[in-house]
Order: sequence, then C-alpha cells, then structure tokens
Amino acid sequence: MLKYLLKRAALTVPTFIALMFVTFVAIRLVPGDPVEVRVGERGISPERLAQFRHELGLDQPVWKQFLDYMWQLLHGDFGTSLATNQKVLTEFAALFPATLELATAGMLFAVLLGIPAGAIAGVKRGSGYDQALMGFSVAGYSMPIFWWGLLLIMFVGERWGLTPVSGRIDLIQYYFEPVTGFMTIDAWLSGQPGALKDALRHLILPAIVLGTIPLAVIARMTRSAMLEVLSEDYVRTARAKGLSAWRVVGLHALRNALIPVVTVIGLQVGTLMAGAVLTETIFSWPGVGKWLIESISRRDYPALQGGVMLVSTLVILVNLGVDVLYGVINPRIRHG
Amino acid sequence: MAEIAVRLPESGVPPSPAGAFWAAFKENRGAVIGLAVVVFIALLAIFAEWVAPYAPNEQFRDAVKAPPVWADGGSWRFLLGTDSLGRDMLSRLIFGARISLFIGRSVMSVSFVIGVLLGLASASLGNAVDVAIMRLMDLIMAVPSLVLAILVVAVLGPSLTNTIVAVTIVYLPRYVRLVRASALAELGKDYVIAAKVAGVRGWRLMFTTVLPNCLAPLIVQAALGVSDAILEAAALGFLGLGAQPPIAEWGTMLADAREFIRSNPWLVTLPGLAILITVVSINLAGDGLRDALDPKMRRS
Repeated sequence: MLKYLLKRAALTVPTFIALMFVTFVAIRLVPGDPVEVRVGERGISPERLAQFRHELGLDQPVWKQFLDYMWQLLHGDFGTSLATNQKVLTEFAALFPATLELATAGMLFAVLLGIPAGAIAGVKRGSGYDQALMGFSVAGYSMPIFWWGLLLIMFVGERWGLTPVSGRIDLIQYYFEPVTGFMTIDAWLSGQPGALKDALRHLILPAIVLGTIPLAVIARMTRSAMLEVLSEDYVRTARAKGLSAWRVVGLHALRNALIPVVTVIGLQVGTLMAGAVLTETIFSWPGVGKWLIESISRRDYPALQGGVMLVSTLVILVNLGVDVLYGVINPRIRHG
Repeated sequence: MAEIAVRLPESGVPPSPAGAFWAAFKENRGAVIGLAVVVFIALLAIFAEWVAPYAPNEQFRDAVKAPPVWADGGSWRFLLGTDSLGRDMLSRLIFGARISLFIGRSVMSVSFVIGVLLGLASASLGNAVDVAIMRLMDLIMAVPSLVLAILVVAVLGPSLTNTIVAVTIVYLPRYVRLVRASALAELGKDYVIAAKVAGVRGWRLMFTTVLPNCLAPLIVQAALGVSDAILEAAALGFLGLGAQPPIAEWGTMLADAREFIRSNPWLVTLPGLAILITVVSINLAGDGLRDALDPKMRRS
C-alpha cells in the first residue's frame, strides 16, 4: 500500500515542476514591464529603476530567476500582490474559506439530490421518471451556469424576492469577527438571532448554480452504475434469498454502485473551481474565483500567478487523494 | 422475379456502413431531434446575411430597448426586441450563432489534428517523448479549465482568436489521451503485427493502419468537444475575456445585458437560451453518435 502511495505521489512531481515553469513563463510573456507597472505612469530615475529591478531579481539571468521562483514556492512564498502589497498566500488564505464553503454547499446539493435521483432512475429504467431525469441531466451539464445564475437572480431573487442576490450575509444587520471563515458556522457561533438564517439564505442560490453541473453528472453516473450492478450475480442471489426489494437495492446494489460515483465526485473538484469563478462573479461572493478575475482587471499579475499556482496545487492534491482512496477501495487498481 | 430482385438487398446483402450507422442513429429519438436543431442553427449561421432582418451592429436610435413582440409595447419590427444600443436582438442572435459555431468548429478541428499528432507520437515513439507529452497533458488537466483559459487570455490579451487558442489548449489533453490509449490498444493486435511483418513502418503504420481503427471514439469526442468549446468560449465572453464588443457573441451579449436584468429581462434570457439550446442539441446528437458508432461505449 505504501509503495502504491509513494508511486502515485511521485507521479505528481513532474506535474508540479511543469506547473511552476508554465506560471513562470506565462507571467513573463504578459505585455508590459512589471517594474513599470509598479512605478506607475510618472516614471522614476534610471538609478531607482535599476534598484527596483535588482530588488525584484529581474537583473538576474532567466534560469536563475526560475530557480529562485521555485525556491520561493517551495518555501511557501507565492509572491506579493501589486494591488495590496500583501502576500498572495495571505490573501488567498483569507478568501479561500468562502470558496470552500460555497463549493461544499454546491457539492452537498449535487450529492444529496443526484445519488437518490440517479439510483431511482436506474431501478425504474425506461420509466417516464427515468426519461425525464435523463433529459434534465443533459440540460444540466449543457447549462451555461453564468446564465443560470442570472435567471435565478431574476426570478427567485428579484421577482419573487425570496433570497438575497449578492454577498454572504447582510453586513449592515450582522457583524462578527470571522472564526472559521465559514459564514454559516461563524453566524451560528456568533449567536446573533437570525444570522445563521441570513447566511443560509445568501448561500442557497450560489450553491444551486455551482452544484448544477455536478448534479447532472452524478445523477447520470449513479444511474448507469446502478444498472450495471443490478445485473450482477450477488444482487440476484440477494433477491433469491427473498430479501425485500428495498434491502436489495439499498444495501446490496447501491453500496457497490457508489464506488465509481465516489471517483466522479472527487474528479469534480476542478469543475467546481472553474464554476466558482463564474458563480462568485455573478453573486459578488468574496472568494478566490472572483479575486482571480479581479486580479486580471487590476493587472495584478503576481496575484494571478500565485492564485493559479495555489488553485492548481489544490486540484492536484485532491485528485491524488481521490486516486489513493480509490486504490484503498479497489485493490485491483493498487496492484495493477 | 422482379419482386425478389428488389427485396434481395433488404434481406441478403448487409447494409452499407453509412446505412447501418443511420439505422442505429435514428433509434435514438433525442439524437435525431438534436441533430435537426444543430443543422437548423448551422443553416441560420451560414445564411445569416439573408435570414437576419438587420445587420448585427445596426443601431435604431428611435427604438432603444424595445421589448419583444409578445410583451407589452412590442412590435413586429423587432421580433425579439432591441438591446441597450438599439440593435435588433434577433439579428444579433443569428450572427452570434455564426461566432459560436465558428469557435466550436475551430477548437474542435485544431485540437483534433494536434491531438492525433501528439497522441500517435506518444504511442509510437514511447519513452521520453511519451513521458514528456503525457506529463504536459497532466499539467493542463490539473489546472481547472476556466482558470487555465483565463491565464492564457491574460497573457495573450482578450480577443476572439485568443479565445480559440485558450479553449483549444484546455481541451487538447482529452484528444491526446484518447488517441494514445486507443493507439496503444491497437498496436498490440494481430493485424498491426501483420502489417509490421509486411514491412509497414513509422508514420505510415500509424496513419494508415492504426489511426482508422481509433477513429470512432475520436469522432464522438470531437462532436461533444464542440459543445464544450462553445460553453467555455461563452463563459470567457461573459467574463469580458473573450470576444470583445461590438461582436455579437452570446456570452459577451449576456455580459452587456447584466445591468438591465431588472428593467429589460429579455436581454438576459435570450442569449442564454441560445447557448443552452445549441449546447443541448449538440450533446444529444453527440450521445446518439456515440451509441451508433460504438455500442460498447453506451452510457447505460
């Protein structure tokens, strides 16, 4: 097991190095001199300029710059934002809980709805319900989620006035210091009456928008896994033993059908991060995705560079985790 | 006698590949509907100049934000209303179909060609080349699609061409991995060994012997890839990083319409609906293609 784990982890090392290389090159290809961006329009004396270049290490040969960049990354230094002069890692860490909360809520929505919906469709294959669900599933994974978000804002938020349409909580009514960074938990901890409810009301639309594509994928995957499992011998045996249909489906079939579904859920992390960029922009959700987009419009390239690096690192690590977990569940992969 | 002669092809001779494909494809009602809609949208895009009532960027200053015909105050002059600059929505949507299909088709064909080249190189050359290509693909897959596209656009600058470049890079790994995997599977088969024994080598072996047998899953991937590319490009347009105004691109139109979400909702509803209908139709047709081309790949 340890050997498998090490082997799988070692495979990510070249990916990391390549990732560092690509972010390094990308930022150097950006039009505009980073020093000039920093000093602004007015310009400064050539001596100051040279000093700036030296401070930023730009007077070094390129290969040396790359090694320095790698060295800094390996020590947890992801650069400094031009806009705020703060460490990128600090900014990222402050915003990430918001994204994590949104992603968790979106995933919960997708899993809690998608697995039962897909499982029932698998059991009732060919029924009207099955066909309707598969129709919804195609629409779901074809959905331009930025438009879906605007539609929900238009109807649920504006026309029916059921939920707020931007931010994480009503900042005028509620204020408390962040403890966990999860607004729902912080609101609950604060003990202010109505705070938790308000945070949840803010969370629900973005979570639905972000969870829509994973919901479609999970429902479809659960259905086909269920169909496969239902024709297995052990299910027939369970039926032959006279177990109730409920027990056969719930206990014997669904549990085995969930193995591939778990992998799919893990692999949705990349989709969630990409979706978070759009969802956060639409709902003014102060998370990592919105921050990345803003860093482009502010021409804050170190923030963009560090942000891409951090987001990708997270995705690589989660995928590694999913792979390892899959190896634990399924020994055939481990020894293959 | 004549009757028998007519019936013979029906019962005795196997149907042509195209005939067999169509017979399998039309079993799937959703796929046929999807294909019909895709063909309809493609025709609209091709003949946009003749179909659209106005030019996409023609402004009618007397009719700014005119509502669509079914709403209060709508008129037949502008069937789907006009936008905040007085441009006809229907015409912009029709010309938008041209942009979106162009993006989808460009991304698909470029990644198809590069994917085949890299995939076959990876499978046939092996060792260092294989490792280098596959690690590069792993890297591209590790960065979330939209984040990578944003990075590429940030470097190259926002434009229609750069949107195509960015989305192509994002979706390239799928083609490369697919070609490599199917080529590796084919390379071990008897007919390839026979061809090798007969003296077929190098690129000729890969292109004339192996590649034709890898095409089925690749065609399916290409079809579904068009819809992904359209979605991704529209998302970039929506974020202001794709096609730039005044180009009538659906995502860009949505971004322009955001501020009128309360006052003029059709400006938001229509472009999104156009994206959804196009993408759903392509996906339905693509699913049908998958089932018809390769029964083993059926999802259910």
